Amino acid sequence: MSVNVTGLRAEAAGKTLVDDVGFTLDAGRILAIVGASGSGKTTIGSALLGAVQRGVTATGTVEVAGVDVLHCAPSEVPASHLPQHPAAVLNPVRRIGGVLADIADVRRETARTEARPPGPATAARIADAMRRVGLDDPAYLRRFPHQLSGGQQQRLVLAQAFLCEAKLLVADEPTTGQDLDNRDRIAAELRLAAANGLAVVLLSHDLDLVEAVADDMLVLDAGRVVERGPAARVLTEPEHDYTRRLLAARTAEPAPAGGAEAPIRIAGRGLTVLAGRRTRVLDGVDFQARQGECLAILGASGSGKTTLARTIAGLQQATAGELLLDGEPLPVRGRRRTRAERARVQYVFQDARASFDEHRTILATVTRSAVRLRGLPPGQARAEAERVLHEVGLTAETANRRRDELSGGQLQRAALARALAAEPEVLVCDEITSGLDALTRKGVLDLLAALKGRGGMTILLITHEPFVAERLADRVLRIEDGHAVMEN
Amino acid sequence: MSPEPDLPESGRRGLDPDDLSHPPGTLDTRGAHNATHPTPGATSPRKRRTVLAPLVSGALESRHTRPSDRRNSLPERIALAALLALPLGIALVGPFLPVPERDRTQPFDPAAPWPGTDYLGTSVLNGVLDGGWGIVVTAAAATASAFLVGLPIGLIAAATRRRWIDELLMRPFDLLLALPSLLLMLLLASIAPPTAWMLVLIVALVNLPDIARIVRAAALETAHGPAVEAMWLQGESWWRTSIGHIARSILPTVAADAGVRLVGAFYLVAAASFLGVGAGPEASDWAVMVDVNRGGIFLSPWGVVLPAALLVALAVGLNLLFDRLLARKAAA
Amino acid sequence: MLAYAAKRIGLGAVQVLAVAVLAFALVELLPGDAAVALAGDQPDPDNIERIREQMHLDEPALARLGDWLAGIATGDFGASLVSGRPVAGLLVTALEPTLILAGLTLILLLPLSIGLGVAAARRRGRWPDRLITTFTVGLYSVPEFALAVLLVSVFAIGLAWLPPTAVGVPSLLSEPAVLVLPLLVLLARPICSIARLVRAGMIEALDSEYVAHVRRAGVSERRVVLAHALPNAVTPATAQIARTADWLLGGVIVVESVFVIPGLGTALVDAVNARDLPVVQGIAVAFGATTVLVNLAADLVAFRLAPRLEVAR
Repeated sequence: MSVNVTGLRAEAAGKTLVDDVGFTLDAGRILAIVGASGSGKTTIGSALLGAVQRGVTATGTVEVAGVDVLHCAPSEVPASHLPQHPAAVLNPVRRIGGVLADIADVRRETARTEARPPGPATAARIADAMRRVGLDDPAYLRRFPHQLSGGQQQRLVLAQAFLCEAKLLVADEPTTGQDLDNRDRIAAELRLAAANGLAVVLLSHDLDLVEAVADDMLVLDAGRVVERGPAARVLTEPEHDYTRRLLAARTAEPAPAGGAEAPIRIAGRGLTVLAGRRTRVLDGVDFQARQGECLAILGASGSGKTTLARTIAGLQQATAGELLLDGEPLPVRGRRRTRAERARVQYVFQDARASFDEHRTILATVTRSAVRLRGLPPGQARAEAERVLHEVGLTAETANRRRDELSGGQLQRAALARALAAEPEVLVCDEITSGLDALTRKGVLDLLAALKGRGGMTILLITHEPFVAERLADRVLRIEDGHAVMEN
Repeated sequence: MSPEPDLPESGRRGLDPDDLSHPPGTLDTRGAHNATHPTPGATSPRKRRTVLAPLVSGALESRHTRPSDRRNSLPERIALAALLALPLGIALVGPFLPVPERDRTQPFDPAAPWPGTDYLGTSVLNGVLDGGWGIVVTAAAATASAFLVGLPIGLIAAATRRRWIDELLMRPFDLLLALPSLLLMLLLASIAPPTAWMLVLIVALVNLPDIARIVRAAALETAHGPAVEAMWLQGESWWRTSIGHIARSILPTVAADAGVRLVGAFYLVAAASFLGVGAGPEASDWAVMVDVNRGGIFLSPWGVVLPAALLVALAVGLNLLFDRLLARKAAA
Repeated sequence: MLAYAAKRIGLGAVQVLAVAVLAFALVELLPGDAAVALAGDQPDPDNIERIREQMHLDEPALARLGDWLAGIATGDFGASLVSGRPVAGLLVTALEPTLILAGLTLILLLPLSIGLGVAAARRRGRWPDRLITTFTVGLYSVPEFALAVLLVSVFAIGLAWLPPTAVGVPSLLSEPAVLVLPLLVLLARPICSIARLVRAGMIEALDSEYVAHVRRAGVSERRVVLAHALPNAVTPATAQIARTADWLLGGVIVVESVFVIPGLGTALVDAVNARDLPVVQGIAVAFGATTVLVNLAADLVAFRLAPRLEVAR
């Protein structure tokens, strides 16, 4: 059995999304399709599942185990989908066991009509599938999807794929949005799927994952295949220029080290934040950062790192503890901070889009920083804003647009600019690279590297990706369950 | 399945040549995300809004009555305009039309010229011309006053950082909501002097809790969202933040709700008139006409049919109008 | 679940208490001398004195409040100013027809609207859907009293298929024909509203990723619609049922008036017009308690059906 794609072309409203893509994939092998967003890999994934978006016309042949998926009924498609957010394909109001039973019953029906001998009973098959993915406990069957963690949900989707005897698994960006420790687990799951006889198509921009699991690899640029071959070969000896650029984004020289002997800029002692009555989101955290230094605050999601960042910036009220800025106490209760204090400690939001007012232009918003926090008159403030925006790589034309007209990466830069326009002494960057694809992330990190140490600015970099910390940080503070664990 | 992020409809986004920065493509949009348009940077850890909760209290549509579901054709629009214009026109202009008062004759007089006479013998035509104004103006005035009071209350409750202010403002409303609106109206009418102003006040009071809650719910999301936090970080003044930003962002929701409230107020006033409650015994509007002329409906049907038809036309027209506006907003 | 139920029941109890206090407060809000205001058309001194005595208007407000609340707890709602009979007795006799109407409406409501909504959603865009949608919008807009009068005129008086009123009927259940038109009127608006919500919810569910997922896995369309899409579609509708109670109890008042059904609604309107405050107060508490109960039930059902909906506060 194999997957055969020939001459796949997809168009929407005159724009070509996928241009003459073809490949073959056998059962038990993993093909990685790599490319930036907008490269067409999403459309290819959809096509493999036999579901093309409304308004998109797809031509060509997409055959999975002999079934022409573009022209058959949905129930005949032998492919299964593992989405980036697994909760999307899990019915929120039905118990897990119930849905699994429905899926298992299907094969029983087909077996009956085809006069095959009935296989093991439904319950046994369900138990078997769950065991294979590591969700042995029968208690899971009575739970609802939202009671499972993200990783468990992913495994559940895999179990469903086994149960419906899918021949192809389309895995869409499985590592994006998950913590880094999970990458190994996800790789293991993909290998498990392949070992169970599925062909796996992995859509990803995470080259580390690709390196770990993929047998073959396709590189897409603007809908075209620019390179293909065994993954090992492509990753080490790329032939096409675009592939080289992608690979280059994975590595970069570390930024220049900063201020090992400089005076301490900002320090915190015993910071504690309670949520509700019992839960300690932060428990007695101490830290310090010098002038010109970059301190990375590293932790998994839910560890409390964002809370720490927000507390430092004054957006979150700490129940106990103190903050010192240049040796002077900094009000822990944000409401008490003067504008001057706010100007000195600035914060860059993770969700840059949501942090901008949709009704005003980017330039207007950044100008306000200069006006309110530095007391500049409007004309001068505007000029300042334009300067800072230019520095982060946004043209004047882009700056005059509103938030919904900009892409994610541009907005992240704009958020940086807004913070920089205040000329802060401490810049807190909260997960500003997560959700960005490799090339964009490189751009932002390059920018931060250039800013680091300039004028003695201290950067507090919150992230869950060790790679980012390695690139920029002088020291690393690890946060786990609200405790600061290690500093090196 | 979501389209590629750079489909023509989002082509307005400028792409820097070396900034291939759209977030990783996703095959899924619905389900876990509230995505009327794809949200780049989708991996924010914010609370996922459930798509199951109704969008706006009182709204009948979710985002699924897309414009593609209904033809917004010109004939339909003209029909709607006519449907609304007729009763509204009569209601607002009727009392001032120089139609002579006809003499009283006998009740349900078969010999009287169309549309005949009512249960007292007075002309139905005069009744119809004069009878719309009260209902329409009362409903409009009540809705306007309710918003005048409810909007600030909801905004303050949402924007404040002090929990107790929020509780103080909203708890009484939660309690008031235990009573159906018609019941509350009747209760208040039982002690109030039967003047038009009291009716306006009562209907406004009945609608106040709902309005405050809706404004608060709409403003809550914005008031504690990243944009407002960013404004604070910038040292932005309170005035600009709350009025400039929060109020502006809830405007579409409020406008949509205003329509729903207006229709509700209209029903309430009409029902109250029909039941003979609220305005004094001399009051005679369309709803009262429907009530009192019921007896002679087969002697002289127009006494009931005309005012009933006008009421229905106005109600249907208003509902259709606001439905369309809501659907358009939800699709936008 | 239990925690939520306890909290919700607590809120409900407070709401009933608030209704009782509000009902009590009506007397306090009367302008000037309460007894005079209540005497209304017959302001002779004897009458006023009788009223003052009956309602204990000489005692301080707080004491009266205490008496009032204690009275409710024991089932004593005072006596009517007009007839002198105990209000509680009035409530009990009037309660039966109202409960029958409201109960039957609620029972019929869900199956009918869900059926309609699912039918429209499955044939989305085609003529059955358009027909149902247009019809529901139109019907939803018609005020209850107008609809009632219209139906009576056409079906009862014109065609004489059904009795025009319930006059002379001992019990509503004994002559079901009397119930047809009132129920039609009461059901009209809620069915339209809920059917549209179900339709919208079904469309969204049928378009969703999780439904596409199980369709691909081969699950039959019938099973998909009934067991996978419908449970999701019904949830927003359940939240709407609580608001339906609001309409329902309002609609019952109008319907009882048009069809001359001697229920709580008629009693209330008569009492309001006669300024018979004790009766008004008693009915207010009865209605209020019923609304709170229905809202509570709807909230609990919604919570049970949708465990992942977060309580937003």
